[in-house]
Amino acid sequence: MLMLRVKFTKENYLQYISHLDLMRLFNRTFRRANIPIKYSEGYNPQPKFSIANPLSLGIESISEYMDIELEEEIPVEDFISSMNRELPKDIRIIEGKYIEGDKSLSSLVAWSYYEIKFVTNNLNNRQLDKLIEAWLKKENITIIRTRRKKGREIKKEQNIKPLIGNIVLNGQWTIDNGQLIELNCLLKAGDRGNLKPTDFINAMDKEFDLHIDPDTVDIKRIGLYLENNGEIQAPI
Amino acid sequence: MIDMNKFNKVLKRVIKPARYIGMEINSIVKDFNNVDVKFAFAFPDIYEVGMSHLGLHILYNLLNEKEYIACERVFAPWVDMEEEMKKEEIPLFTLENREPIGNFDFVGFTLQYEMSYTNIVNMLHLGNIPILSKDREEEDPFIIAGGPCAYNPEPIADIIDFFVIGEGEEVILEILEKYREFKKTSGTKLDFLKEVSQIQGVYVPRFYEIHYNKDNTIKEMVPILEDVPKTIEKRIVKDLDKVYFPEKLIIPYIETVHDRIPLEIFRGCTRGCRFCQAGIIYRPVREKSPEKLLDLAKKLVEETGYENISLTSLSSCDYSQLELLISQLIDRYEEDKIGVSLPSLRLDSFSIDILKEIEKVRKTGLTFAPEAGSQRLRDVINKGIDEKDLTTAVSYAFKEGWSTVKLYFMIGLPTETDEDVLGIKELGYKVKDMFFILPKEERRGNLKITLSTSCFVPKPFTPFQWVGQDSIDEFYRKINLLRNSIRDRKIVYNYHDPKLSYLEAVVARGDRKVGKAIIKAWEKGCKFDGWSEKFNYDLWIEAFEETGINGDFYALRERDMEEVLPWDFINIGVSKKYLIKEYEKAKIGKLTRDCRLGCTGCGINQSYLGGVC
Repeated sequence: MLMLRVKFTKENYLQYISHLDLMRLFNRTFRRANIPIKYSEGYNPQPKFSIANPLSLGIESISEYMDIELEEEIPVEDFISSMNRELPKDIRIIEGKYIEGDKSLSSLVAWSYYEIKFVTNNLNNRQLDKLIEAWLKKENITIIRTRRKKGREIKKEQNIKPLIGNIVLNGQWTIDNGQLIELNCLLKAGDRGNLKPTDFINAMDKEFDLHIDPDTVDIKRIGLYLENNGEIQAPI
Repeated sequence: MIDMNKFNKVLKRVIKPARYIGMEINSIVKDFNNVDVKFAFAFPDIYEVGMSHLGLHILYNLLNEKEYIACERVFAPWVDMEEEMKKEEIPLFTLENREPIGNFDFVGFTLQYEMSYTNIVNMLHLGNIPILSKDREEEDPFIIAGGPCAYNPEPIADIIDFFVIGEGEEVILEILEKYREFKKTSGTKLDFLKEVSQIQGVYVPRFYEIHYNKDNTIKEMVPILEDVPKTIEKRIVKDLDKVYFPEKLIIPYIETVHDRIPLEIFRGCTRGCRFCQAGIIYRPVREKSPEKLLDLAKKLVEETGYENISLTSLSSCDYSQLELLISQLIDRYEEDKIGVSLPSLRLDSFSIDILKEIEKVRKTGLTFAPEAGSQRLRDVINKGIDEKDLTTAVSYAFKEGWSTVKLYFMIGLPTETDEDVLGIKELGYKVKDMFFILPKEERRGNLKITLSTSCFVPKPFTPFQWVGQDSIDEFYRKINLLRNSIRDRKIVYNYHDPKLSYLEAVVARGDRKVGKAIIKAWEKGCKFDGWSEKFNYDLWIEAFEETGINGDFYALRERDMEEVLPWDFINIGVSKKYLIKEYEKAKIGKLTRDCRLGCTGCGINQSYLGGVC
């Protein structure tokens, strides 16, 4: 099996296309770029590629990964240049590597690193870094998740503390309508526990009563990490 | 350009924000301040619907190939986006340069469906452009329109500055070139309207007055300027092999209604179904050659990467070299996993064989349109199929492994009786029998038959343009009659909303007065009328009452053959005499042959249009 793993970006307005839109986009780009991708057998052949961890609509990323199964080996540089010629400018393939092993990329994903910006006007004289420090010492950080099942809303409490790796405050600036905050956070991602950055922000907003203006929230994924045999590693 | 901070803010608040971002592969963004003519192509429905329309892709690329023109797209924002735009005071903008539509020289609407007219009014309003043509100033754009519904332009004649009747790619450059020259002069908008009124196919409503009889029918249409044409002649492309067709298509980021390569194999239709407007107005039939189509397919596949090619036309199985075309396409593209699809199927085993070829293993559902339940009524509408065609085709399809069949019908066709309506049920039951008549080991899959009825809407330029539509109550009675007669778990029955069809009938055959009701309905909040969850019948009825419009007069009234119809001033090349003859034949259930088998004398090949068929 010939498996190429690549890292790519999804920035600016392309944050507004969904995971499924992105799959369709790649499918058509592979064809335009003449990539010798393998297709599944059966009634409805589909190109064989999988994206590590679906990104929610409205989140940018400079650190997406996918595995692509090829029919024949082509130089990685050729793959990157052919694809980038055909891709919209806000999606770029930035590196690639042929990989061994048969574990699927999505099953190995464990952590996702985000850069988050927002504006709050209710911080007053409190120091956010101190607040965060205290917050992370708690054993339980509970959020309420709402799921829809057959038209009914089901509310469920969840302790997200184990899903938060770390939080780093990058900066804080005073602007017209409050404080612009920039922080990074490492959140659990993948099949073995997943915390959406939007849920994380809501939890923080609620905890510190920040009155975050939803129009000002910008989220960007800046890293994605695998856990293989208990070891944390970059996908490439 | 609109305020980008506001734009970025609203994108975070709306569903499917990608509808509004543009920037798709193969879209064309020009330097807005460096072109002579700015044209906004406006589609009065949401992005996913508009981007599925072939005409948009043709005109967009045709215009943008000219260096001096910028053609940009604008769609109706969905209701959530509209609300946010109003809140932030963002005017309606195009996707390419995000430029308010008021900054264009032209805003050109395509009229695909009568029930999109309130969206046109709404889009002008959101673009801060006065709704009525007479209220617009020198700096406002020209609001123009074309497409199939422009064949009866009168209901929106007070809104649109001028209409283009016929095939747009044939006329539009002529108009824009004239405008480019005109801009160098000091002429007024009125001067330009006078100039374009001389172009064949262009209709400028303000140059004509309508005089009415006491009974509200039209007495005459009088030109108020000396040199404007008394009749408007439609424009058509003569040679479809030589006409412009884009070799690139914008590839949407989000899934659209028809998310594939549309390969237009011919225009027009020779079948002569008497209810069908497209079959008359798009005459004569003009085919593209297989060589041309294969060449186009190759370029489009390379430029788009789409995984499917759809062979589009009004009746694709009638293409004279269909087998050759399909086998060549499959030979070339099977290896690349590119599929071929046919949007409409004829009821015969030839069609099934073709389908067998393109679907190979996966059997999706079969869709046929017998249109009427009884042979008598099918003869009335000149749907040239009989029950044997259907049963042979269906039983052949069942043998070949299909098990899902959809059958489309209309109710309320002229001369229809309850017996005809119940014939729909009987046809459904017969199809079921065709399945179970097969020995058990030959049946494959789980049988599912869907019977679907729409309500007949009489349309201009058809042999049925004079007939009165069934009333809403009568439609419901027939629907219930049919629904209650079907007692079989294998057969599902669906029907369209008669209320919507009634309004469609009012607007489709409306005159200039109807325009007031359209604007009033919009004022009351009507938009996206074609979307069942947004359609509000009661508001429309209020609008009719307040503007003194009697809907029944337009929808239900049988017209006299002598009556002046609102669209009579348009010459489509098919003679009125022919339509009358066809109507008379319909009443006695007499068939007219497919004109590929011999000319039926509709007039298209003798008219000034120079059609050859």
